[in-house]
Amino acid sequence: MQPTKSRAGTGLSGNPTSAALALILFASPIFAQLTTEQKQANLASFETVWTTIRDKHWQTNPGGLDWQAIHAEYRPRIEAAASTEAARAIMREMIGRLKQTHFAIFPAAVYQVLDADGSGDGWPGFDARVLDGRVIVTDVYHPQFSAMFGANAGVDASIIKPGWEILQVNGVDLAPVVAKLKADPAIHELQLERSVAARLSGQMGAVRSMIFADQNNARVRLDVKLLPPRGEFSGFGNLPPQPVWFESKKLGNTGYIRFNIFLDLVRVMQEFGDAVQQCAHCDGMVIDLRGNPGGIGAMAMGMAGWLVKQSGERLGVMYMRGATLNFFINPRVEAFEGPVAVLVDGSSASTSEIFAGGLKDLGRARIFGTRTAAAALPSVITRLPNGDGFQYAVANYISQGGKPLEGNGVVPDVEVKLTREALLAGHDTVVDAALDWIRKQKVSQ
Amino acid sequence: MTLLTRLTVLGALAAAFAWAQPLPKAETILDRYIEVTGGKAAYQKHTHETMTGTISFPAQGLGGKLTRYATAPDKEYSALELGPIGKIETGFTNGVAWEKSSILGPRVKTGDERDQAAREALFDSQVEWRKIFPKAETIGSESVNGEDCYKVLLTPATGKPETRFYSKKSGLLLKTTTTAVSPMGEIAVEVEVSDYKNFDGILFPTQSKSKMGAQQMNILITGMSFDQPAAAGTFDLPPEIKTLIDKAGGK
Repeated sequence: MQPTKSRAGTGLSGNPTSAALALILFASPIFAQLTTEQKQANLASFETVWTTIRDKHWQTNPGGLDWQAIHAEYRPRIEAAASTEAARAIMREMIGRLKQTHFAIFPAAVYQVLDADGSGDGWPGFDARVLDGRVIVTDVYHPQFSAMFGANAGVDASIIKPGWEILQVNGVDLAPVVAKLKADPAIHELQLERSVAARLSGQMGAVRSMIFADQNNARVRLDVKLLPPRGEFSGFGNLPPQPVWFESKKLGNTGYIRFNIFLDLVRVMQEFGDAVQQCAHCDGMVIDLRGNPGGIGAMAMGMAGWLVKQSGERLGVMYMRGATLNFFINPRVEAFEGPVAVLVDGSSASTSEIFAGGLKDLGRARIFGTRTAAAALPSVITRLPNGDGFQYAVANYISQGGKPLEGNGVVPDVEVKLTREALLAGHDTVVDAALDWIRKQKVSQ
Repeated sequence: MTLLTRLTVLGALAAAFAWAQPLPKAETILDRYIEVTGGKAAYQKHTHETMTGTISFPAQGLGGKLTRYATAPDKEYSALELGPIGKIETGFTNGVAWEKSSILGPRVKTGDERDQAAREALFDSQVEWRKIFPKAETIGSESVNGEDCYKVLLTPATGKPETRFYSKKSGLLLKTTTTAVSPMGEIAVEVEVSDYKNFDGILFPTQSKSKMGAQQMNILITGMSFDQPAAAGTFDLPPEIKTLIDKAGGK
C-alpha cells in the first residue's frame, strides 16, 4: 500500500522536502511557552542527543572534542531555553560543533505535517539547477505536464523547455537569492540546490507565480500549479516517507538508468536488476546520479553487484565504533560487463558518492560531471522524547581508493558542466560526454 | 593478636578460600544447561522444529517477522521479512550454506561463514556440543544483569570461538559473545537472552537483545513447535543458488 505521507531530511533539485521544512519552521510559534512536561522532554532530548553521540560516534572523542565539556557547556543553556524552538537551536549548535554532515534535528512538526495528506510535497513538474548563478530548468517531466497549469494561464504550457531560466518566483527575484547563498562559505552546493528547490515547491495544488526567460530571453509569466510529487512514497524506519521514482531507457544502444534516491529498496533493486538484464547486449550503461542525495547505503553494494563480475571486490570500508564493515560486492551471474559511466554533480551525496567513488576506485566506471557533495557519513534517524527527529552519523567511510568521501567527495574523471546553451539546444552535455566515451570504447574494441 | 584481629584474619582467609574455589568444568556447566532446560531425552525426542517470531531494530524504527525451519540432522531454512528491506533468506542443506536477499541477490557462503552456518544448522547442537566445540573451558565468573554467571569459552574446530555466560543459580544461558563473520567483515556480537518458556518439554529463551557495533536488534519468539515436518521443498536449494554452484563447478 502506498503511504500517504510526505518526507523530510533529504532532498534534491525538485525535492520539496526543504519547502516542507521551511513552511513548518515559519509556521511554528516562535515564543511558545513551555510546560513543565515540554521542558522535561527537551532536557531528555538533549541528553539523548548528547549520549547517543558519546556512545555511537565512531570516534571516542567525537569530532576531536571533549564531549564531556560540551555537555557541561550546553546543558545549562537547554535548562534555560524558553521554547522548544530555542532548545532545538541549542542542540543544533551543539551538533554543529562536530563539523560533520549527517547530524541533524528535524522539528516534530515535520512529522505532524507529514501525517497530513501530503502537504508540502507539491513540485512544479520540472527540475532546476543553479548553473553559473542562474536557476535553469534542466528537465521537464512530460507525463503530467498538461495538468500543471491553471485553465486561464493564457500561455501554452508545453513551451517550457530545458534551458529556460527561472527569474522570479512569487515576486522574489532568484538571482540575488542565489548570489547571497553562494557568497556564504558555509553553504555548499547541495544546500544551495535544496534552498532553490524549496522556493519552487510547496503544498500540492498551490500556485507559484513564475517568470521565466525563454530561449530568446523573452520574459514569460506562468502560474504554475504544484503537482503531486513524481514517484511512489516509500519510508524506511524512522525516515519519513519520500517519493521515489526510477526510470530506465535506451539512448541508442546504451542503457540509461536514473532514480532520485536510494530508497524503496525492494522495488528499486528489482527495477535496477531488470534494467541491467534488459541491456545485456548494450554498448554501455549510463547511471545518472545527479541530484541523488543518497539513502540506504547497502543498495550501493547491491547495485554494484550488477556491474562487477569479479568476486572479492568492495566499494570501500565503513568504520563504526566496535566494527569495521566492508561494502563488499556480490557479483551477479548476469552482471553487465560493458563500459559504465556514472554521472554526478554537487547534489550527488552519501550513497551516490559511495557507489560512484567505489566504482571509480575499482576502475569499473568512468565518472562524468562535477564534484559530488562530499557528504557521505552513514547515519540513522531516531525520534527524540520531545517528538523531534534526530539524525546522527555512526560511521566514517573510506572509499576503496583509500580516501574518505566526507569532505572530499568524488572528483569526476571527466569534468563536464551543464550549460544553459546546450540545454536550450536540446543537449545534456554530461550525458553527451558519457555517450561519446562509450562510443569510443566500442570503436576501440 | 586481639580476638577481633584474629577473626578478621580468619574472615580474610575464608574469603581467600572462597575466591580460590575451583571453577566447575565447562562440560559440567554445559551438561547442566541441557538438564535444566529439559534433559537430553527431551531434546532428542524431536527431529523437526518450526520457530516463528518478530525482529526489530529499535534505533532505526525497523521491524519484521522471522520464521525458521530446521530438521535433523542438519538442515535449516530461515526467512526474515523486514519491511522496507524485503525478504532475506538463509539456508543450510547438504553442506551448502547460502543467502538470498533483495539487496545483494543470491550467494553461497564459504570459509568461516559457511562453518558458522553449519554449526547453527546442527539440529542437536545443544546436546551434541562436544561435536561442535572440541575445546571448552570455564574462564571465570561474571555478572550479567546482576546475576552471577560462569563464563565458558567454547572453541570450534574452525572459525571463531564464542563465550557463554551461564547463571550459577539457575544454570540457564544468559548471554553469548562471539564474532559474526560475513563478507562485510567480522562483527563482535553480544546476545542477551531471557524469558525462558517451556515448549514441549524444552525450556527455550523467547527474547534476545543483540548488540552488533552500534546496532541493536531484538528478537521475540512467538511460537515454537516440534515434529511437524516443514513443507516439501523448504530445504531445497533455490534455483539461483544452484546456478551459482553450477557456475563455480564449471558447468
